[in-house]
Amino acid sequence: MKKIINKPENYVKEMLEGLYVAHPDLITYTAGDLHCLVTANKKEGKVGIATGGGSGHLPLFLGYVGKGMLDACSVGDVFQSPSAEQMLACTKYINSGAGVLYIYGNYNGDIFNFDMAAEQADFEEDIRVESVVAGDDVASAAPTKPGEKNTRRGVAGIVFVYKCAGAAADAMLDLDEVKRIALKACANVRTMGVALTPCIVPRVGKPGFSIADDEMEIGMGIHGETGIRRGKLEPADQIAEEMVVKILADIPFSQGDEVAVMVNGLGATPLDEQYIIVRKVDELLKKAGLKIHRYYVGEYATSLEMAGISISLLKLDEELKKYLDAPAQTPFFVQL
Amino acid sequence: MDATLIKNFLNTTAKVMMEEKDHLIEADSIVGDGDLGLTMSDGFTAASDAIKENPIQDCGKLLYTAGKAMSTAVPSTMGTLMASGLMSAGKTLKGKTELTREDILSLFDAFLSGVIHLGKAKQGEKTFIDGFAPGCDALHATADVQLKESAKAAADASMKGYLGTKGMLAIHGRAATRGEASRALLDPGAYVGALLFKGFYLSLE
Repeated sequence: MKKIINKPENYVKEMLEGLYVAHPDLITYTAGDLHCLVTANKKEGKVGIATGGGSGHLPLFLGYVGKGMLDACSVGDVFQSPSAEQMLACTKYINSGAGVLYIYGNYNGDIFNFDMAAEQADFEEDIRVESVVAGDDVASAAPTKPGEKNTRRGVAGIVFVYKCAGAAADAMLDLDEVKRIALKACANVRTMGVALTPCIVPRVGKPGFSIADDEMEIGMGIHGETGIRRGKLEPADQIAEEMVVKILADIPFSQGDEVAVMVNGLGATPLDEQYIIVRKVDELLKKAGLKIHRYYVGEYATSLEMAGISISLLKLDEELKKYLDAPAQTPFFVQL
Repeated sequence: MDATLIKNFLNTTAKVMMEEKDHLIEADSIVGDGDLGLTMSDGFTAASDAIKENPIQDCGKLLYTAGKAMSTAVPSTMGTLMASGLMSAGKTLKGKTELTREDILSLFDAFLSGVIHLGKAKQGEKTFIDGFAPGCDALHATADVQLKESAKAAADASMKGYLGTKGMLAIHGRAATRGEASRALLDPGAYVGALLFKGFYLSLE
């Protein structure tokens, strides 16, 4: 294991200490617990938005706490859910009477803890909490039929959900409305990923799975969960095409629809390679008759030092476009 | 029967989980990510420690406090499910300083419904519930015999329930990704269910 760390067991704590040192104008913590990260600019009367999840995915999840996006994030150990208690502490801090919306990914540990935190917020604190679970990974399960529960994993597309819901809350919409916007963003976002190398959880010290030097896995999850297929590493254009085709087959769209596109590096893929993908994605989307409203390129949701990328599409209507375009300022996301 | 019963139950269960740690790790390494032995021994120890010296006599509050300690100590899937069970039992017994046989049945029933409420699993889906629910049923069926004897029947029934998970198809968690191949395996979560009744029985000895 080659990592720039001190003791593996201090990995998350020291990462958080660094973040608080670097961004005191935007974030702080509550309940005396570094893992309960909250905004330093609480806006009175606004619906609070909280997220949470395991560490190892920076800038996800905590990197989007700030102005115009999220108000709190409870931070777990690497790839592990934070506790309901930590979520509850964040909930109490960010509630200013308008209630709190939880937005998090579709993982059992997170679901159980957020459900429990929501129940405690109601039972112990009389805080109204609503939840939206993001599940945008096309590779992880078949599309949900009406009335069925979405079993897809949540991956990088959740950033779009944060952005739209965050802007809606910032515009002082009420809890039901903010939730509606979040659900709408969830329903219109799709992601596909590809992984080239495994990652090492610091406390484990060795790769969590193996993949040959000349191989890639299309659709692998952000913790190394099985994807759609494993095969020989292909040129960038072919990889981009396979992913875009799968996404477009999944998201109902018509000619002329507008989309926002995110090309996201998983941790060890340089920006150069991400832009090589962008070039091809642009060509494919235009050929499919879509209008591209804006691009987001860079690292938005990573998996430690995993090499690979993901592509997310958010299909827009006027409402989502308005909230996507609203300004925001967080440690990892600045939009004027 | 008073708060001592709750304290003894959790203390003994923590010891049982500690003794079974390696077995749980091994079983979970086959179907899950291998941390079940650690989370269950750490979790029940934290739950027990949180109330061991607690002067509160309210059995419900003690169980709720133990559940909160569990959820903070081990926020894993199983840790949170057990915390939900304890907190649900706590809500049911709130205000009671003396426990009747009826209350003890309610304790375990509420524990089960707390787990079901959070985990959304049903009996027969190869989970904790398949080890735990048969124990609850046995407690009800033997409600007229001496408590210790009834607890023994529950421990036996839940162990049998655990062994019955071989052959079931996994629907939840990582085991489910194995599909039909999951049938050949025993469910470690159901084993935790059986160990809870073992802990309860031993705590009465």
